[in-house]
Amino acid sequence: MKRIMTAALGAAIIATPAFAEYPERAITMVVPFSAGGPTDTVTRLVAESMSKDLGQQIVVENVGGAGGTLGAGKVAKADADGYTLLLHHIGMATSATLYRKLAYDPLNAFDYVGLVTDVPMVIVARPNFEPADLKGLIEYVKANKDKVNYANAGIGAASHLCGMMFMSAIETKLTAVPYKGTGPALTDLMGGQVDFMCDQTTNTTNQIKEKKIKAYATTTAKRLDALPDVPTAGEGGLPGFQVGIWHAVYAPKGTPKAAIDKLSAALQKALKDPNVVERFASLGTVPVTQEEATPAALEAKLKSEIARWKPVIESAGEYAD
Amino acid sequence: MDLLDNLALGFSTALGFQNVLYCFVGVLLGTLIGVLPGLGPVATIAMLLPITFGLEPVSAVIMLAGIYYGAQYGGSTTAILINLPGESSSVVTTLDGHQMAKQGRAGAALVTAAVGSFFAGSVAIIVLALFAPPLARFALEFGPPEYFALMVLGLIASVALASGAIIKALAMVVLGLLLGLIGRDLNTALPRMTFDLMAMIDGLQFVAIAMGVFGLGEIIRNLDSEQLSRGTVAKVGRLMLTREEARAIVKPILRGTVLGSILGILPGGGALLASFGAYTVEKKVSATPERFGKGAIEGVAAPESANNAGAQSSFIPMLTLGIPPNPVMALLAGALILHGIQPGPNVISEQPTLFWGLIASMWIGNLMLLILNLPLVGMWVRLASTPYHLLFPVIVVFCCIGVLSVNNATFDVLVMIGAGVIGYILLKLDCEPAPLLLGFILGPMLEEYLRRTLLISRGDPSVFFTRPLSATLLAFAVLLLVLMVLPSIRSRTNEALKE
Amino acid sequence: MLGWLSRRNLKDVLAGLLFIAIALILGWQASLLPFGTAMRMDAGYFPLVLSSLLGLLGVANLIKGLVQENDGTAIGFKLVALAPIVVGTMFFALTVRGLGLGPTTFVTAFVSAFASRYFRPLVALGLAGLLSVFCVVVFVYGLGVPLPVFGPWLGN
Repeated sequence: MKRIMTAALGAAIIATPAFAEYPERAITMVVPFSAGGPTDTVTRLVAESMSKDLGQQIVVENVGGAGGTLGAGKVAKADADGYTLLLHHIGMATSATLYRKLAYDPLNAFDYVGLVTDVPMVIVARPNFEPADLKGLIEYVKANKDKVNYANAGIGAASHLCGMMFMSAIETKLTAVPYKGTGPALTDLMGGQVDFMCDQTTNTTNQIKEKKIKAYATTTAKRLDALPDVPTAGEGGLPGFQVGIWHAVYAPKGTPKAAIDKLSAALQKALKDPNVVERFASLGTVPVTQEEATPAALEAKLKSEIARWKPVIESAGEYAD
Repeated sequence: MDLLDNLALGFSTALGFQNVLYCFVGVLLGTLIGVLPGLGPVATIAMLLPITFGLEPVSAVIMLAGIYYGAQYGGSTTAILINLPGESSSVVTTLDGHQMAKQGRAGAALVTAAVGSFFAGSVAIIVLALFAPPLARFALEFGPPEYFALMVLGLIASVALASGAIIKALAMVVLGLLLGLIGRDLNTALPRMTFDLMAMIDGLQFVAIAMGVFGLGEIIRNLDSEQLSRGTVAKVGRLMLTREEARAIVKPILRGTVLGSILGILPGGGALLASFGAYTVEKKVSATPERFGKGAIEGVAAPESANNAGAQSSFIPMLTLGIPPNPVMALLAGALILHGIQPGPNVISEQPTLFWGLIASMWIGNLMLLILNLPLVGMWVRLASTPYHLLFPVIVVFCCIGVLSVNNATFDVLVMIGAGVIGYILLKLDCEPAPLLLGFILGPMLEEYLRRTLLISRGDPSVFFTRPLSATLLAFAVLLLVLMVLPSIRSRTNEALKE
Repeated sequence: MLGWLSRRNLKDVLAGLLFIAIALILGWQASLLPFGTAMRMDAGYFPLVLSSLLGLLGVANLIKGLVQENDGTAIGFKLVALAPIVVGTMFFALTVRGLGLGPTTFVTAFVSAFASRYFRPLVALGLAGLLSVFCVVVFVYGLGVPLPVFGPWLGN
């Protein structure tokens, strides 16, 4: 009933001619992480390019905390007028299971604008770790599961998700050593204090190229342009092991369709902007295709990702609250 | 000749137009807040932190660093001319500096302070350039047990070096450690001591605590013993040293520089400790200790050299180990993290332009300060004579906006207010806030490394004693604790710091 | 009894009581968490150990204060200095999003100014006015801090 009401309300707003001029004032795009991090960088790039197309400034607001759920919760409660947006990553899907008492329903509290990018991940290890390839790694890890330590950047982080997916794929439970963020985890990995981890290319590409850490496999379907010598997990003997940290733009549920359409079109244009493409490349990622930067594609992605991560997180038994 | 190449890289970075500009802004701001009593580098850097988001990381760090060492220069001006320490690290400078001013030798005192600071700053930069890179390479061998042992040593050192009653200093450290643990537990993600408040789930913000204690708390304390008359402003006089004076300050400057460089590296150290230490030593080695407190030029030269050396050498542990030795460094570490740079052993190898650019900028900044300070003394004095009742509402408002803009969270402002009230009460009860802040920074790290060690060793604590480095560090910590508890030594340090 | 107490070192007594109170509150919060063992510490282990330590140090301070004679210095908390600062900053925290930066900084500066014994209403008004204009220009327009100049409560 409520949904019909909001839909009707939305239709009424569209009918008023004033709304045809959307956006009439500055738009706020909330990032649920602190300034300076990878998600913040992605947001600022996209927001800048989108604002050129929309003819209005997009103000980026960092509402960090609680694994992104504080910022997402804020947008879920915001006015659905198209002037408050959210850019969130895969955490939107995993928080549905990681947090057992969430203040909003990730599936029903938002309208979808579109996907932005899908950052690939790489399984990396300390430089002198014995196994030669992914197959060797899996055998070694299974044989020495009481000795091996794998690092992650804290519960809910990309590296934590990938680690859980890896354990579930090889059906072995290992000792996870959590760190506060990727930086210190990588430092200890280079220093040989822990054995391996799995993290985004944004954080690992340079160190792999400088041979400070060893790369076993990418979590993608195809090899990466930035790391052509690193095989995919599929080539290495783990078919179907694909994890990407996807980013997407959302609006509060009930945002007028006219606004969503305009935003979606602006997003698609931004993802073709040479400046965005170039800066994404320097972060080790690429924009999604035009078809994926749409509300329908995002809705499907979110649904499938929530379903995919639920059993992985539940079997690992590691929750964030 | 790696060092020369690196320094060349550093100077080419630091001499870029933008960086020279930010360096200038930093040292100018630093001098300004150094001159103004009641506004210190911690509060200022915390306020400016959000503004640096948009800058290049190098420029941001160059500017913020300039504030810290710039404040060491500015603080001495007020101390000498108005008998008010503009900065806590220039407290001892008032003792002899203002006496000199009363005797009509203010110019000589100012020149001594500036020259001493410049010399010490230049030496400390060389120390930083020479010792930081090998220490960073060595630090990569550090595992969790070594870090844990190092932090235990640092915390005990901070208690040993704090002035006042030892039980209070210990309690303040423990309170800081506890407050630092509030928020999500790293290993289990359970929210801890959050009173079920969503806003506390990521813990209390360091900036909010620091601004509360050092901003609001200090303001309230200053106001409750407020006086309108600011003392007499001494005439500056001739900005020249006599031959005897010039000869008299050479050795104190050298001693202050060495001592300051060493005390800056220690956890809990920095400019404040360095200046106190240098003054005590100078008095001990002097043939005529009775002149101290009555206008001895050595009593200006040594602490002013030491505080600047200490301010700069305290960058070493932050940049090489990722352990901030004092609250200012904790803020700078936060600034680096905001720019995606992890303070630690990899900074020098992965961010050479940042590291060497910072070092080069310090020398440029020191030169600017030397030039900036002497001719502008008149202006600074006039600024320092701004009545406090016009100044503090400005600081209050800046504190609010500064804390709010770090994370855009109103809750942080409430934390700042709470910290301000409790900080005021603690100040009135003679509890020094610095150990609390150090505990707050190190608390989560201490637990993190302890639990990580036990996780990797599968619960076996013997690793702390079987790894030579961690065993040595822990042995030092125990030794220090024993020395500290022995009452004879304790009373002696207290005596030294009291003067 | 009260007479005897007033001759004790009240600073240490109060510091001790304050530490004990904080230790009890945080210790209670920590006791709600799983404790674990020394070898396998759980979330509550470190906080509970530290709060116990803080409590002990508080007791030590308390005893020390009770044993010592008062050294003659009064503590003298001054509510006159404390209250305006707390009220002013509280006002900022609670209204900055609603009223916007301009009006809020004006009120905060004006209210805080009461904390000084040299408070003069007209001077404080002038200072508050200048300061709020300065803050709006520098922070909102200059540095792009995402705060409204005049907030939604004022019909914006």
